[in-house]
Amino acid sequence: MASPSDQPLGGGGRATAGTGPMPGPVPVPQGRRRTELLMLAFVVGVVMFAYANVGLGLNGKVPAGMFEYGISFAVLVGGAHLAVRWLAPWADPLLLPLAALLNGLGIVMIYRLQESGRNGNPGFVITTMGARTTALQVLYSAVGIAAFVAVLAFVRQPRTLQRYTYTLGAIGLVLLALPAVLPNSISEVPGTFAKIQISLGGFTVQPEEFAKLALAVFFAGYLVAKRDVLALAGRRVLGIDLPRARDLGPVLIAWGVSLIVLVFEGDIGTSALFFGLFVVMMYIATQRSSWLIIGFLLFVFGAFVASELFAHVKDRFLVWLHPFSYVHTIGFQTVQGLYGLGFGGVLGRGLGQGQPYNTPLVQSDFIITAFGEELGLTGLMALLIIYGLIVQRGLRAAIAVRDPFSKLLAGGLAFVIALQVFVIVGGVTRLIPLTGITTPFLSQGGSSLISSWMLIALLMRISDTARRPAPQPIQDEGMTQVVRAG
Amino acid sequence: MNHALRRVSLIALVMFVLLLVNVNYVQGFEASSLANEPGNGRTFTSSLQFQRGSIVTADQKVVAFSKMNKAFGEYQRYYPQGKMYAPVTGYDTLFSQTGIEQAENKELSGSDPALAVHNLIDLITGKQKKGATVQLTINSVAQQAAYNALKAQGKQAGVVALNPQTGAVLAMASYPSFDPNELATLDGNQLNKNDKRLLANPNQPLLNRAVNVTFPPGSSFKVVTSSTAITDSGITPETPVFAPTQLKLPGVSQPLVNFDGEACNNGSNPTGTGKVPLIFAFTVSCNTVFGNIGMHLGGQKLHTQANLFGFNNPNLTIPIPVTQSNFPLYTDPAQTAGAAIGQESDTVTPLQEAMLAAAVANNGTLMKPYMVDKVTAPDLTTLSTTNPTVLSHAVSSTVANQVKQMMISVTQSPEGTAHLSAGTQATGGIVIAAKTGTAQNGINNSGLDDAVFTCFAPATNPQIAVGVIVKGGGQGADAAAPIAVAIIKAYLAALGK
Repeated sequence: MASPSDQPLGGGGRATAGTGPMPGPVPVPQGRRRTELLMLAFVVGVVMFAYANVGLGLNGKVPAGMFEYGISFAVLVGGAHLAVRWLAPWADPLLLPLAALLNGLGIVMIYRLQESGRNGNPGFVITTMGARTTALQVLYSAVGIAAFVAVLAFVRQPRTLQRYTYTLGAIGLVLLALPAVLPNSISEVPGTFAKIQISLGGFTVQPEEFAKLALAVFFAGYLVAKRDVLALAGRRVLGIDLPRARDLGPVLIAWGVSLIVLVFEGDIGTSALFFGLFVVMMYIATQRSSWLIIGFLLFVFGAFVASELFAHVKDRFLVWLHPFSYVHTIGFQTVQGLYGLGFGGVLGRGLGQGQPYNTPLVQSDFIITAFGEELGLTGLMALLIIYGLIVQRGLRAAIAVRDPFSKLLAGGLAFVIALQVFVIVGGVTRLIPLTGITTPFLSQGGSSLISSWMLIALLMRISDTARRPAPQPIQDEGMTQVVRAG
Repeated sequence: MNHALRRVSLIALVMFVLLLVNVNYVQGFEASSLANEPGNGRTFTSSLQFQRGSIVTADQKVVAFSKMNKAFGEYQRYYPQGKMYAPVTGYDTLFSQTGIEQAENKELSGSDPALAVHNLIDLITGKQKKGATVQLTINSVAQQAAYNALKAQGKQAGVVALNPQTGAVLAMASYPSFDPNELATLDGNQLNKNDKRLLANPNQPLLNRAVNVTFPPGSSFKVVTSSTAITDSGITPETPVFAPTQLKLPGVSQPLVNFDGEACNNGSNPTGTGKVPLIFAFTVSCNTVFGNIGMHLGGQKLHTQANLFGFNNPNLTIPIPVTQSNFPLYTDPAQTAGAAIGQESDTVTPLQEAMLAAAVANNGTLMKPYMVDKVTAPDLTTLSTTNPTVLSHAVSSTVANQVKQMMISVTQSPEGTAHLSAGTQATGGIVIAAKTGTAQNGINNSGLDDAVFTCFAPATNPQIAVGVIVKGGGQGADAAAPIAVAIIKAYLAALGK
């Protein structure tokens, strides 16, 4: 299949096969799928190298399943690439390789943690991980990439989503509320207070991960429809423009319900995530920086009230301020994570040569400390920059796209990645109090991985729309002349 | 909306910059303090991957070393002298370190900055990293005599022997003791079991009674009271001092009395109404005389003098941290009288007792006690040597000589409290200068008395100063003095060789 960049007329990747030279030196938009392919090859190389490194670090041997894993991973990202060529040929070429790199490195780290203490390797067995966790994570990656392709296939125009604003809003709320109303035996994450999952027959889903996407679409659709009233109508109170209550009602209700539900589910991190998403999308829609200030103050106040009301929230604050005073109790996990980061130092211990198994649940919330320990400050900064690039590409798509709904949606989705990374990485590195949420693409588990892939698909769809060249003007003399009456 | 989106990009940028700065802080700047956090299992486990430095005595006896344990593939710590050196070496486990293992951990583990160049060369040449060797000032003959003497009398006790000229610790023993090998096992379950058993033992073998437990000093504090009186009032050992049989204390119904209520009688004071020379009162340890002197000097002067002898110092490390010996500032005259004879809230460690004798022996100059002589790198180059330093000028040399004269009288005069136990007949001709103490204990003094003994020898050319305290040992001369004599005899014999 020819790359769109080969087509000088650039009439859209698959629609027209234009011939003849462009008249004049007009800059030619390019799909840049070859760049994407090259970077994906590089990603597969990096991931395979890291995978081999784990085995060499653990027991001096290249891991047995390296070939199979390598092939599966290459096939998966290759499939995603072909789907992009077919479905979104003008999409940003960086997003897919960046997401694939994170996903691949996550699989490598999960393999490394799974192997700890097993098969005669150093360290002790992480009992919260089974011997088939890595295979399962590869399977989740396959489902994630399938979901990525499905989103690209079904959402041909981002604007079509706008039609489902209220449907998706309702779906999002139901997904959020579901675990709260289900019995604890089904919805509680073992060993925590968090009621955030649906666990049936050994299969577990965290619906909030998908609620995040649905609510982002809802916020975007609703705010686009109402942004003029929100920005213009209303009264000025204390120098801040307040919108009319009736314009604000549905959004406040959605936000309040999501917060209440999350408080009942005991998951403060996700609550912060939704609130941050809401405030920032409100700001993008209305251009009123007062929303950011109100939001920030409300959040600080909410965090303070929560820490006074809920013992487990207060514990998080105590551990944040004095981790070493609670080293044997509530601070154990945080302190072990910090020890891991310190043990890694600047250059890291090397994959398979640290002791990340000392940190409880290192494969989920604390996986970033395992990377810090084994790849060092250097590796951790590289990972943060990869996330930063994804956010930057997403925001770039938001600025480039013309349709306001797509703009708002892309801005919200890009920011929610930044916020999620900030909350979890800042939490485990003691920049802010720890709240347990997943690290996009890296943490073990399917829901987060699949929803992250869907989020990337939405960003790529919007960037494809933004970068797609305008259709050929119909008043092209040359073309009309060749039409003959038959 | 593009303006707002650009602002949002800026916010995202700030968030990522905060994260990047913070991970740089944690992994770059904070890494070494995290590594030294007690209970950091990663540091400890990786410390078992290379050979920790040895601890040796001044005469090159190895008291702690590391050897590869093939079953675990890790280096295990061995303490060949076991209980005898436990208070000196301490132990090194994941959850705690004590003794020299703790105080010199950076040197022994090789993380001291002074070893950085050696470590780098080892890294380049492919040699295994190795910790530095710590050489102590402990003399193995004196240490052996000290521990065996404590063990022979069998009560809870601590003893420290110092070189009065330098402050070097020659011996430091505590009884009952523990075997640090039990805490050096690489088997985690076994370690847990041993640790629990030692902690549950009612005799508290893990305590270092030489420097970390305080006892009442009893009459041994009269060394400080005499020093204060001679310095302040210009009196001499021959000056007659008021010596009642009972000393009335203001505001207290019970008078201060002598041991067994006897009169302080040198033959000319049978009724207990006249005076006796100071040296006589010191030799037979009259409480009423020193109580009266203390009351007249006042709490402030005694407090100042006690500070000069090393009391009330919370920061003394040798480099093992030393528990503070207390002589608070007394204002009530009755309390001051009691404090002047080592009662009330006075407390001392055996080390403080040794420091009293050492200051007098060294012409009034108190040297800072220390027990690490030097640290040598694996290639035998010396990394650091301890130079003796003056802690304080406790008294003038004139005063020191006069106190010395009185301390000699305690062992040499027939009526001296330590004449039988530390006189020349008991020591084989060595002249010891000493002061005994018998500290009353318990509610209404119903407990067994603690035996205290501070001394140095030979009196004319002091080589060793010893402080001993035996809990519930009875009179100082009976329980504590023989221990000091045993150490002095063994050490001087070893020096003579």
